[in-house]
This record gives sequence, structure tokens and C-alpha cells, in this order.
Amino acid sequence: MLNRSLRDFGLNPIVGYLLSAAAFTGLSVYLFDKTTLAEYLFILVAISFIYALSQTRRNDFLKSCFSIKTYYLIRFTENTILALPFFIVLILQHCFLSATALIFVSGVLVFFDVENKFRFSLPTPFYKRPFEFIVGFRNVFYVFFFAYFLTFMAISVGNFNLGIFALILVFLICFTFYTNPEDEYYVWVFSLSPKNFLLQKMKIAILFTTMLILPVVASLSLVFTENAGTVFAFLGLGYLFLITVILAKYSAFPDRMNLPQGFLLAFSLWFPPLLLGVIPYFYLQSVKRLNELLS
Amino acid sequence: MIKIGNLSKAFGTHEVLKNISLTFEKGNVYGIVGENGSGKTTLFRCIAGLEKHSGTIQCEHDKLKNHLGFLQTDPYFFPKITGREYLQLFCNARKIDENNFDGKNIFDLPLNQYAVTYSTGMKKKLALTAILLQNNEVFILDEPFNGVDIQSNIIITEIIHRFKAMGKTVIISSHIFSTLNDTCDEIHLLKDGVFVKRVFKNEFGLLEQEMKEITIGNKIERLGLK
Repeated sequence: MLNRSLRDFGLNPIVGYLLSAAAFTGLSVYLFDKTTLAEYLFILVAISFIYALSQTRRNDFLKSCFSIKTYYLIRFTENTILALPFFIVLILQHCFLSATALIFVSGVLVFFDVENKFRFSLPTPFYKRPFEFIVGFRNVFYVFFFAYFLTFMAISVGNFNLGIFALILVFLICFTFYTNPEDEYYVWVFSLSPKNFLLQKMKIAILFTTMLILPVVASLSLVFTENAGTVFAFLGLGYLFLITVILAKYSAFPDRMNLPQGFLLAFSLWFPPLLLGVIPYFYLQSVKRLNELLS
Repeated sequence: MIKIGNLSKAFGTHEVLKNISLTFEKGNVYGIVGENGSGKTTLFRCIAGLEKHSGTIQCEHDKLKNHLGFLQTDPYFFPKITGREYLQLFCNARKIDENNFDGKNIFDLPLNQYAVTYSTGMKKKLALTAILLQNNEVFILDEPFNGVDIQSNIIITEIIHRFKAMGKTVIISSHIFSTLNDTCDEIHLLKDGVFVKRVFKNEFGLLEQEMKEITIGNKIERLGLK
């Protein structure tokens, strides 16, 4: 499935794996260089990936296909494959306790199907405007609390860069809410023109991101007053990228973003002035794509 | 009124709908029947504007889709969206200001639960409730009775009767002939992408008998049941 997804994205699977490995290594080096909390972030991210494999429906399917012994072997192999890159980095960074904890948790999660056991639905402040932020928040709410914790730590130890990292983390998480295209029925159902549909999506995204990022921005700009300008510059840039991600998604809709679109997005992240051209381009492409469903 | 003229649809070289022409009048309930793969769902998706096609679809509204409630055979639900949030999304989509979801929860669904945890019938009822709240003028109901309990079946049948009285247009597909018998004014038989028969209410019994004979034939005998 992963190979097929990579091919759909326009990448040779081998190239895709190599690029992923390079990106993972680069990000790991950057994180451990920038913050002492990187090891905790690593555990959190690794466990959230492994947790995603514990869906009851998926595992019920596996159980129905394989013997119980083979099922646990598959689950153990999957969890190990996912945990391994994080484990290696933690070992290389001499975080032995965290590495051991990660392996232990990934082993324990083999025996748990964690989804749909509870009838409880996590309340969110976004109930009036489904669905991206409701689904996204419920999936990764703990990362927001981690970002708030990082902000608190940044203020406690007077590390402004760590605070900016927390701000970027909140934005990155919000971006992920818009990476996968929804079923086209959920676009079709809107009685809006493509332009108004996109405007509404952007308005809601900016409003809800502001709600989530406000504690970080307010704390940083109040405590690091001399750097308030930098905070607001990052905030503005974050909003621009948020808009770009939304437009990139609908510029390929109902398909997933393809390789050229991914490159455009990546180049814009690397060199933000490109957004001046990329945003109008994605906008026009999005209108064209949405016209087929909304007009 | 919806007027379909020479509608054709192909997936690659496979022609699913072949030059279909049909008119759906206001205040009438239409049944579309046909075997699996005969093109019913594709026809519905074309009418809704979810599939590109050749031919024309005309109606009195400038955009049919904005007045159309489309109940899909197998409605998709986002993970971690409650029934209440699903209804809110559909009301937002059509700018309907509705807050009293509990009052309008005619199927007694657990609205605070995630919709993906619902049973097949509950999902169908939630999707139906959502399009009912939108005050649509035209309804396409693809297998509305599928997996639904007997009580809800009665409610859905009554809703369709009320829609007819209100002058709305309803198009239904169902594999349960009795439900079509109870609700439809006319039934169209779709076979291999072509409408091969149009039957009015007084001939429904004959159609059912004919379909039974054609469908069953000597198939059961071939099984050699003992």
C-alpha cells in the first residue's frame, strides 16, 4: 500500500524511501540540536505512529485472515519496523532510558486494540464548524498540550528559539489537517461557489488555528517583548503556509497532492517569497478542480 | 422537474449508461430497479453532478445540486465525527441555521457518539436525517431501506409519502420490491445501462412477477438443493 501511495504521488518507491530516510535523519539532527526535549518528542511521535496500527477494525481483519500466532508476529514486526528508526536515533543520542521505554511500549501495544473501546467523544471548541479541526484535534490533541508545555519550558529557561519551535509545531499539526482529500461528497454538498468554498475553508482554518496558537503567541510576545516582532512574523508566515496547504490540497482534488505540487510546497517552505506566485497558482488550480463539483 | 436527455457515461471502454432520456416530474416518486452493476448508482451520481457525463440534465433550479438531497448507498463518515457534528456539517453546507438536533432526531440516534461506530442501519438513518434537515426539493435515495429496522422503515415510507404531498421529487432505488410498491408512482427497470421498461402503479404486481421469473428462471434448480 505504501508503495502504491508513493507511485500515486509520482515517486519511485525506492526514491521515496531514500528521501524519507534523509528527511527523517535531517529532522532528527535538527531537533536534537535545537532542543533538549527532542527525545520526549521522539517518543511521542513514535508512539502515535504505532498507536495508529492498533485500530480494532484493521486488527480484526488481520485476526480473521491469520492464525493468532501469525497475527501477533505481524503486529510485532510492524511495531518494531515503526519504532526502529526512532530507537536508533535515541540510542545514538545516548537516550538509553527513552529508547528502552519506546521498545517496551511498542511491544505492549501489540496486545492492544485501542480504537472504539470507548463511547466517549472528546469535546472540542470547533463543534460548530466540522470537520477538519474536530477530527484533527481529536487525533492529536496531546501534541498541542506538548507544544504548550514547550512554550512553558521556553519561558522558564528563557529559550526563545524553543518557543518559536512550539509555535511552528502547532502550525505543522494544523497543516496536517488539510493534507488528505476528503470524500468528494463532502465538497459537493456545499451550496457555495468554488471561490466562496475556498474562502470559507481558509477563514475557518485561520480562526481555529488562531484559537490553538493564541496561548503560544501571547505568552512568547509578552515574555520576550524584544522579540515580539519575530513572533508575529512567524505567525504571519504560518498563516500564509496554512492557506497554501489548503489551496494545494484542493488544487489536486479529489486526488492527493502529486509530486510537482509537493515540490512547489516544499520550495515555498524553503524560500517563502515563492508564496507570492505559488498561492495564486494553487488558487486558480483549486477553482478549476472545484468547478467540476460545485458549479 | 428534472429532464434527462441522452445521458451516457463510460468508465474507460465500459459503457455504463447508454443514451438515457427520462423526465422526473414534481410531486412524483420514481423507483429505479435493476441488477447490481446495471448503472443505478452511476445514474444517480450523474444526476447529482458527481460524475462527468455526456448528454443533458435540465431542471427549474439554476443548480440542481443545491436543492438535491442525495442519500448514498454506503455513506462515508469521517472518523471521530459525532452524529451531531455530521448533522451540523450538512446544515452548514446549505446555510441552514439549525440547533435543535435532539428535537429533530426522529430515529433516536446516539448523536454524541462517533458516527463510524454506528451500525449500518444507524449510519443510513443519520445520513438520511442530514439531508432531511437541508429542506431539499429533490431527493435521490439510493437503497434507503438497506439495513434499516422495521420501525425506521415505516418512518421512511411515511416521509416519502409526505414529500409527494409537498410536491417534492423523489427518486429511489431499492432491491426490496415491497418498499417500492408502497412508495412509488412509477418504476423504471434499468438493464445494462438502458431503461428497458416503465411501469405504473397498477402494473407493479405484474412487474414483480415478471422480474421473479426472469431473475430466478431455473437457477435454483441448477443448485440441486436436497
